[in-house]
This record gives sequence, C-alpha cells and structure tokens, in this order.
Amino acid sequence: MQDISLHLLDTIENSVRAEARNIKVRVITDVSKNRLRIIVEDDGVGMDAHTLEMAQNPFYTSKLERVKKVGLGIPLFKQNAELTGGCFKMASEPGFGTVLTVDFGLDHIDRMPLGNLKDTLLGCIVGHPEVDFNINLSYSERGREQSFHFDTAAIKEELGDIPLTYPDVIEYIDQSLNQGIKNTNMEDV
Amino acid sequence: MKTLADLKKIREKAQEEMKLRGSDARIKIVVGMGTSGIAMGAREVMRTFLEEIANRNLTDVIVTQTGEKGLSSLEPVVDLMEEGKETVTYGNMTPDKVKKVVVEHIVNGRIVSDYVVSTGN
Repeated sequence: MQDISLHLLDTIENSVRAEARNIKVRVITDVSKNRLRIIVEDDGVGMDAHTLEMAQNPFYTSKLERVKKVGLGIPLFKQNAELTGGCFKMASEPGFGTVLTVDFGLDHIDRMPLGNLKDTLLGCIVGHPEVDFNINLSYSERGREQSFHFDTAAIKEELGDIPLTYPDVIEYIDQSLNQGIKNTNMEDV
Repeated sequence: MKTLADLKKIREKAQEEMKLRGSDARIKIVVGMGTSGIAMGAREVMRTFLEEIANRNLTDVIVTQTGEKGLSSLEPVVDLMEEGKETVTYGNMTPDKVKKVVVEHIVNGRIVSDYVVSTGN
C-alpha cells in the first residue's frame, strides 16, 4: 500500500465482509499532538480474543485456503503505523463489532501520506449501498479546529429508491466529500 | 456547498426517467476490492467507472465493491453482469482499460475479449 487512505479502504472492506451495516470513520489530524489518528468502528460480527490476536499475524486469513493463504492487510497497516512511533489497536466483541484505532506520528519521516481520501470514501459509500457510513474529519492546529461530517443515512432517505450510482448522485457525493476534505486540510496531510 | 435540497431535485429527475425505462439496472459492475486488488490499483479502477458513469450519464448501470475471490495474480478484477447473459470477468484492469470497457461493452454491447480472463460463474 502506498498511502494511508488505501489502508483505510482495506479496513473498511474488512468491516463490510464482517457484515457491518453501520461503519463510522474518523480521521483526526492534530498538529499540536503531532498525531494522525484513524478510527474505524463497525457493528459487524466481531471477533473473539483468539481471532483478534491471529488477525495481526500475516499467515492467518479468515478465508478458505483454496482462495488465499495469507492475510497481509492488517499486519502491514500495523507495521506502517508503528514505524512512525504510532500504535495500532484493535478491540472486538463477537456479536457487537470491531473498533480499530491507528495512530501515526504526523511529522515522522517514514509516515506515508494520507493519499486520496476522497476516492476511498466515495468508492465505499457508492459501492456498498447496504451500509450506512458516518464520516468525521477533523483538523486541529493551535487550538483551532475545522471539522467535516458526512452521514449517508440521511442521503439515502432523501433518495428513496434512486441508486447511489445514479450519475447526479455520484457527483453530489463526490463534490460534498471534496469540499469537506478541502475545508479540513486533509488533501495536504 | 451541496445541500439535501439538491438531492430532492435529483430524485425528482431520476424518478421521471425511471417511469420511462423502468427501475431495473441493465448492467451490474462488481469491482474486486480485496487487499491484493487494492494494492494493484482497484481503487483507481472503481473511481474511473464512477467518473465514466457520471460523465456519460449512464443511468442504468450500478457499481459495487466486493472482496477477493482467488484471482490475485489477475488483480484488479472486474465482473460485468448483464440480465440474461453470462458474467464476463475482466482482469489486470487499469483506468484506461476501464474507459475502453465502458465504451465498447457497456455502451455498444461488444465484449472486449483482450481483457477477459473468464466467463460464466
């Protein structure tokens, strides 16, 4: 993975495969704490303590061996965070869901860029119409905070049976996300 | 800034169109978005499909994302499903190939056989 937004995409796809119907995504840049924090919270099937531990092992996968033999997504995300003096925490409970919190050292030389957050979020929102996304972006520097909130449940309610891949709807979501990302300086992180 | 009122206008417009042609999607596109697909550029493939749908105003096509299904060496992989026809799977996709598939397959109904890695289920 070349950037953090690709890891985020991989994580969201894990939540979808765990049958989540609500996924909360937080991206918090705090300059004074020198920290970039990503939080993904889902209401999927969750994992027991053993599976949770195994999920961080690159030679573990939840898929059948004939489909695939390794599971590199989580271990690589963890490694890339820890390289920057950050940390990677996963908490889960069977039947309740999973919360992933990943911290990166904001100004660390080895920190990958955040990358194209808009493409990650737009693809997930439109590509998983059965899932409601609650997105929060926040950027704070010297006591000043700019934030952006986007909730897809309200959009779907307004649209009724019109699909999210309807051309004007794609443009609507695209432009809303772009505006929010710009307002919270996330394009330069 | 976009507001929910804009969505209401979009809904009214879309509902008028659906009265004319029915509400079922003609083509369903599924982009493989597992770890290996993502690492090979599946996100850019997804983005290009969405751009093409918006730019060409394709109102009868839907796109979704799914996990990997064991074609890691051919990622990014895309399934194209059309009512009453066999599923066509395209492999090693790039944004340029997506544009060609949209014009040839989705708009003109001709399968781009150079990019096909399998057909059927």
